[in-house]
Amino acid sequence: MAHGSKDEKVVYVGDSRVKKKSHQPLQPDYSSYPGKSEAFIPNFLLKEWMVGAVVLVGFLVLTISEAPPLGYPADPNNTAFIPIPDWYFLFLYQLLKYPYAAGDYVIIGTVLIPGIAFGGLMLAPFLDTGKERRFYKRPIASWLMLVSLAACVYLTVVSWDAYQHELEVMKIEPEHHKRAREAEKNALAGKPYNHPKPNDSVALVAADDPAMETYKKATCIACHGGELEGGGAPSLLGVGDRLSKEEILTVIKDGRGAMPAMLDTATKAGVTEEELDKLADWLAKQKKE
Amino acid sequence: MFKGVYNWIDERLDITPIWRDVADHEVPEHVNPAHHFSAFVYCFGGLTFFITVIQILSGMFLTMSYVPDIQNAYYSVEYLQQRVAFGGIVRGMHHWGASLVIVMMFLHTLRVFFTGSYKAPREMNWVVGMLIFFVMLGLGFTGYLLPWDNKAYFATKVGMEIADTVPYIGPYLKELMQGGEIVGAQTLTRFFAIHVFFLPAALLGLLGAHFFMIRRQGISGPL
Amino acid sequence: MSQPLENKQPHKPATRKEMSRRQFLSYTLGGAGAFMMGGAALPMVRFAVDPLLQEKAGAEYIKVVEESKLTAEPQEFSFKRLQVDGWYENEAKLKAWITKDESGILALSPVCKHLGCTVGWNNSAAHKDQYFCPCHGAFYTKDGKQMAIARAPLDEYEVKVDNGIVYLGAIKPNTRVK
Repeated sequence: MAHGSKDEKVVYVGDSRVKKKSHQPLQPDYSSYPGKSEAFIPNFLLKEWMVGAVVLVGFLVLTISEAPPLGYPADPNNTAFIPIPDWYFLFLYQLLKYPYAAGDYVIIGTVLIPGIAFGGLMLAPFLDTGKERRFYKRPIASWLMLVSLAACVYLTVVSWDAYQHELEVMKIEPEHHKRAREAEKNALAGKPYNHPKPNDSVALVAADDPAMETYKKATCIACHGGELEGGGAPSLLGVGDRLSKEEILTVIKDGRGAMPAMLDTATKAGVTEEELDKLADWLAKQKKE
Repeated sequence: MFKGVYNWIDERLDITPIWRDVADHEVPEHVNPAHHFSAFVYCFGGLTFFITVIQILSGMFLTMSYVPDIQNAYYSVEYLQQRVAFGGIVRGMHHWGASLVIVMMFLHTLRVFFTGSYKAPREMNWVVGMLIFFVMLGLGFTGYLLPWDNKAYFATKVGMEIADTVPYIGPYLKELMQGGEIVGAQTLTRFFAIHVFFLPAALLGLLGAHFFMIRRQGISGPL
Repeated sequence: MSQPLENKQPHKPATRKEMSRRQFLSYTLGGAGAFMMGGAALPMVRFAVDPLLQEKAGAEYIKVVEESKLTAEPQEFSFKRLQVDGWYENEAKLKAWITKDESGILALSPVCKHLGCTVGWNNSAAHKDQYFCPCHGAFYTKDGKQMAIARAPLDEYEVKVDNGIVYLGAIKPNTRVK
């Protein structure tokens, strides 16, 4: 770069008390390495950026083709949810399933084994102090690494398989799949998908109706909650928007999905046919204002 | 024009030697994939940095539409993903990038390990690298909670129970991270602060040290 | 300045007891720096550890169910308790599995003692009449005794019966089994 004339240039003078070192760089002189070296900028960096560009294209294709997963809002009372950490924590998660790393020995699983593994990794340069750099000339370090690697891969795979198996046994569809499906359905129908906010929910209509007593007596309250807000079973607020009175009555009598037929239970609790009818009437009135 | 501006600044600040030092250092043949294809293993460090830059940028933009609040966090994430143009892609970059950065870092670590590049005089750089690894895992753990969906909530709860089992300090550690007795509003704000300010600050410092040491020591020689 | 000759010693490096000017400046610099860092950081650290030092509020008894409804078979009951979570006060929905047998009423918390997932009664074909946790396969007897994986029995609620109504209080470690 062209500086102006020499005497115009700003020259910075160092601290005069510090002796100027004969600069001896730690880095080896690459001219002593065999072969052709080249300048970092622009020659080598260009090659790195070529690789970077290829990676970026693959990455963007991934982000465009695969939407980031999102489930449903966190609900501490959701008992059907099987927790699963991000994949790179799975090996640790799986480790804690083994009896020798759980129960009374959980410290082994949470502190000891990870501590030794990560501590060893961290201190590798101080443990493996030999001059030899080629991995096949230092078998202990290399084997330890290979075995730990294999263990991590194994634990991760086993953990993932167990998770898939659990989903299958409990007939649970991962929430982000379910949500993605709903979102797609709405997108096709031309509606933007957003999960309903809790305060979008409908208020209880006619809470002082005598049917409320029937609702309690017929044990509906146990699952559908004291104010129809749901709990073990879905909320009944706004159910009138979805079902007619007749349909509601059918559901009460014959059950639907996970809900058992309630006619027997209700009759045994002393609910008459007429009261049941009133109950269905009242539930059908549960509409959004 | 551009050259004129550069010269004007250079006359006053003498910046040429600074970037010349970075630009002119020689890259030896044994790490150059153009000469030996197997040298592509030396790319993973650079790629980790590249993805990290993407993470920082996409994260900065995501905070434009995110609130760390238990009642709104989920809806803000859903909104930015469903309604904001390219929201799915920006969040996707941050989500998948988080995994990719772990993969790249993992491969980079393995390369350094199996080429024995962590040996003297580069021990300190290895230790700093491992610290970067832990910071990245911390970023992954704290970031996982932020969308506040069931997956986030329950995974964090399990994480807290794991912290709880650490002898003596476990219960305190758990409560300090949770910011209360339960995983709730204060956990979310805490994790947000850690994810967005504390850990990135640590990461930038460590990355600076990492690069400074590489520049001082040069890349390790051929095997 | 007329001093005896014997006191006039050859030049020795001065071993002064007092600080040199440079030492003094370094110490002052270090002290001021430490004060600046500490003064700035102290309020922040106290701010960050506050949750640890907050007093824990005890739990009040909540009405859950009539005693007559309880059976020897565990049943799940939900109830609500006011929960203060920072600036949110909401009704936390809690669950309890309650049994009544010859040794009294037992209300177990369904929070797995392994890693805090939620257990269920008879929810796994392989573990009939047991509480089973789907996360890591921990399971418990009817009394909450841990059989595998977990390191402690299920916690129980404090139980109070008044006028035939069962009230549940704070969660405490299991008193029936160890």
